Parts: sequence; structure tokens; C-alpha cells
Amino acid sequence: MPKIEVKNITGKVLKDLSLSVGDKEILALVGPNGAGKTTLLNVIAGLTDYSGEVLFDGVNMDRVPPHRRGVGYLFQDLALFPHMNVAANIAYGLKIRKYAPAVIGERVDELMNALHIAKLRDRLPYNLSGGEKQRVAIARAIAPFQKILLLDEPTANLDAQTAKYFRSELSVFLRRLEITTVFVIHDLLGAEEMADRIAIMHQGSIEQVAAPGDILFHPRTRVVSEFIGMPNILNCDECTVLSTGLVEVRSGSMRLVLPYEGTAISKLAISPHDIYISDSKPPGPALNRYTGTITEIIPLRTVVRVKVLVDGNELLAELSRETFDEMKLTAGSTVHLIVKLRRLRYFEV
Amino acid sequence: MNFKKLSISVSFAVFALYGVLILSLFYYYDGAVFLETLRSSRTLFSIRLSLFTATVSTIIAVIVAIPSAYALSRFRFFGRQLIDTMLELPMIVSPVALGAVVLIFFNTPTGTFIQDHGIRVIFSVYGIFLAQFIVTVGIAIRLIKAAMDEIPVRYEEVARTLGASPARAFMTVTLPLCKRGIIASSILTWAKALGEFGATITIAGSMAMKTETIPVAIFMRLASADIEGTVVLVLMLIGIGLGILYGVRLLTGRAVPV
Repeated sequence: MPKIEVKNITGKVLKDLSLSVGDKEILALVGPNGAGKTTLLNVIAGLTDYSGEVLFDGVNMDRVPPHRRGVGYLFQDLALFPHMNVAANIAYGLKIRKYAPAVIGERVDELMNALHIAKLRDRLPYNLSGGEKQRVAIARAIAPFQKILLLDEPTANLDAQTAKYFRSELSVFLRRLEITTVFVIHDLLGAEEMADRIAIMHQGSIEQVAAPGDILFHPRTRVVSEFIGMPNILNCDECTVLSTGLVEVRSGSMRLVLPYEGTAISKLAISPHDIYISDSKPPGPALNRYTGTITEIIPLRTVVRVKVLVDGNELLAELSRETFDEMKLTAGSTVHLIVKLRRLRYFEV
Repeated sequence: MNFKKLSISVSFAVFALYGVLILSLFYYYDGAVFLETLRSSRTLFSIRLSLFTATVSTIIAVIVAIPSAYALSRFRFFGRQLIDTMLELPMIVSPVALGAVVLIFFNTPTGTFIQDHGIRVIFSVYGIFLAQFIVTVGIAIRLIKAAMDEIPVRYEEVARTLGASPARAFMTVTLPLCKRGIIASSILTWAKALGEFGATITIAGSMAMKTETIPVAIFMRLASADIEGTVVLVLMLIGIGLGILYGVRLLTGRAVPV
């Protein structure tokens, strides 16, 4: 499976974009709408005009038409051929490339079994559910022994629960195939579940390419930091096992408890919207609850961000404008904070 | 009367107008004349000639229309608007005028050369093919383009990424998907060719047993005050036309814009 290199690509929304995807690597493209994620997939597939260079294993692909690039592409709208049944859809690319009927039959069966769609063989696309269509479209994209796979929002048509399950299944499946994959996804969590590396895109450029943990704990630019939700990063000075599956992390004089096995945590990330703020002391146990002083108020369009000094650490919290107005908070106010136990993310040593 | 009732009444009034006009034909209907006219060699020739020329010109028009419609539907190129506008010419210019243009062309040195060294078009069956083709090809392109516009380009892009060349993607995906639209368009084109009169009589003339199609025969019988004979031929043309439109409706499951 080849390495993909795109060099100084300009076209449509893309601005002098360069990126390299390793052999057998799974890379996620993440970013807001209009960042150019799908355009970049179209450039790799050769479906749109561009200036710059696209290389597969060092071989220039700029003059190679889409049907000779060997790139499987799962479009966001799936676009299963409505006049063909499931088996014919999957077999299409193999027939076009003139594989022997025995090879076609074997490959179609193999993919249908791997993606659990064997029972759908004779169904027409209009008769399939969103999830079934997704599986058929993936099987069709991979079927003609493609070297590269591009997936545009592979879980967009699924409900949250099914999407999560499908992501983990797809991740295992792609790793087994050892196919170089670039996929577009809108949420960082989904990207982390599947990708070896994540590229954050913004306004036609790549802001940062890094391993999932690195993006969260070491955002290189403000755009990346904003995109991942401006998490509070706390260094772990000490890690103590409390009981099975629970550890207490000390950062300065602040102590946090989180579900974790072992003591290898080096950093913690807390998203600003995972910190609740109250002007009165909330009832209940004192676990992950703190008292602090507001140092700065940052009003945004629909939310308000407040910086709170807690035990020597400055935490950024986010609350709705309505809640903020109700509490009449000002710089210097004393507030009570609750950090959501299950939403703490950590970086291991 | 509310708006709903008013609009339905207007549609019924239009239906009634056509209904009364068709029914009025039966005032002059004579069973014996009907059979006699139908059995006459001149009428049978006209029917055969009309069916044959309409079929051939439709086949040629559709063969030309499919790639043209595809180009207009899928690509943005220099001169596209101009071509698109030109295709509407047969719809807004009278067929007699189009026929006159063809007649004038074949009286230019180039036209005379073609007539002398190629096919004799004027006052021959080839003239009928040309007349029907000129009048219908624009409509055929329009109808087929409408059918192709409904097929998302995405299917072709998928086919391309699966290894199909542009031509192969068109043949294996787009064409099968708009098959019904193309068949419906072909039938309507055929019906239009069958009823073509103005350009045909101008280019091919009205020679009995040579270039007399059904519409030309209707005109000739009317000109010689043969009302009963005219009624027979008109009823035949209406019967064929309505049968075709009904067939298209069944095929497409909805009304087709003509």
C-alpha cells in the first residue's frame, strides 16, 4: 500500500497545502465546515482540478485520471447504484477491471461476510437501512483491490450509538486490510477512535498533524486549541491509586479523582464545558469540587468563558450566557466548581 | 366560487374544448367511407410512409441527442448557452419557415452540389427524414437532457473511482439510470415526427404515393373538400397520438412535459 504525498496544493478552498500520509497509515482530517476536507479527498482521488503535486509512493499522479489512480472513495452520500443489487454494486469495480468471474464471486463473498451483509446480497439500495448502505458502500469502495481508501464522513448517516460501534469495527477492519486510509470526520472523538494521526484543517490549510493525544495536549496553534475546545491542561505531579479503577492525580495543590488503572498519567485535559460553576456551594460529596476566584470574564456570542484561580491553577470554564447572567458574576467573585468525573482525559507517560 | 373550484373548472373547460372538437369529427363520420379510405392504397401508403419516416428520423434524432444532451447536462464549455438557445429554434420558429430555410439552402451552390453529388433531398423521401429530424432533434435533446439532469453526477464519480473510464461510467451507470427517460423522450419525439407537416410539405412536397405522409394527406383531402376522408385520417392521427401519450404516462408514471 502506498505512501501519499500532497505538495503545495492550491485549488477551490485549498491554500498551498502539503501533507504526507504513511504507508498503511490511517489519517483523519478534522476541521470545521468549509475547511477543505472533502476537497482534499477529491484532489487525492483526482476528481477536482488543482495546482500542486500528488504522489503515490513517489510517483506523480497529477496527469493520472481518477479511474487509473487505484483510489477507493466512500462518498458522504454513499451513492449506491440504484439499479444494481448489493452484490452487483460490490462487484462493479471488479467487473470494470475485468477480473475473472471466480475471483469476483470470491471477493464479493469475502467482503460481504467481513462486513456482515451477506444476507443483503439480492436487495436493491432503496431497501436498505442507513447502516446497511454504509457497509455496502465501503465494500464496494474496497472491492477492486484498491491501494488507497478515502472515506468522507464514514459514520455521518448513523445514529450516535451505531456510529461509535461502527467506528471501532471499521478501525479493526481497515487495520486488517493494511490499506492506506484518509478519512474526513467532524468530531475529534471519532477521529481519535480510528486514526493513527489527526490533521486539523482550517480555511484550506493544515493547522497541525499529530497523534491523537498530541493534538489534545499540545495544540500548536490557537485555531487548533479553539477547535478542540480550549481544554485546560494540568500537569500530573503525583498519581495515587485509590482503589481498583480509580486514581487521584495531584497537580500543584489541586487534587482530582478519575477512573484509570495504574499511575502512568502525565497530563490531564479538562474541557471548559465540563466544568460546572455555581455561586453557592453545591450539596454532595467533595469529590472533584473546588472553590476559586474569577480572574477574567470573556463574553462570547452565546457562551461566557471565565478564568478561575483554583489552588494555584488557572482553569477556564464555560457557561451559557443565561446562567452567567442569572449568577451576576464579576471578576473577583468567589465561585464553586464541579469537574465531571467521567469526562477527564489523560495523557500517559 | 372558491379558487380551487375555479381552477378545476378552467381545466375542465379546456378538456371540454378539445372534447367538443374531436366529437365534432363524428358529425361527418361515415362507416363505409372510413373503411374505404382505410383500405385505399393511397391511405395505406401514407400510413406506412409516416410510420417509416417517423421511426427512422426518431432513431437518428435520438442517436444525435444522447451525446448532445449529455454534454449540455454535464459540462460547462464555451458556446454552451449558444447551443442551448439554438435548440429552441424549432420550438419558436414555424416548421414552414424551417422548411423554407432548408429549401433555400439546397438552392445555394453548396446545396446544389450536395443534391447533384450526394442525396437528392428536395421533393424526395430523404426530404421527409430531414424535415422531421430538423423539427424534432432540438426537442429530443431537451427531453433527454431533462432526464439526464435528474441523475446525480456523483454516480459517475463513484464509477470513475472504481476504475471506469468516462465513457464506461456513462454506459454502465448514467445510461441505464435514465433509460426510462430516454424511451419516453423517444416516443414523444416519434409522435412529434409523425405529426410533422409544415417542414415536410415545404421540403418534400405533397406527391401522392411518393411523399404524402398522413398530415400531408389530411391537408390534401381538406384542400379538395373531401371532409369524410379528412375525418378518417384525423381520427387515426388522434388515436395514435393519444395512445402514445398514454403509453408514455404508463412508462414514466407521471406526465411528461412536451
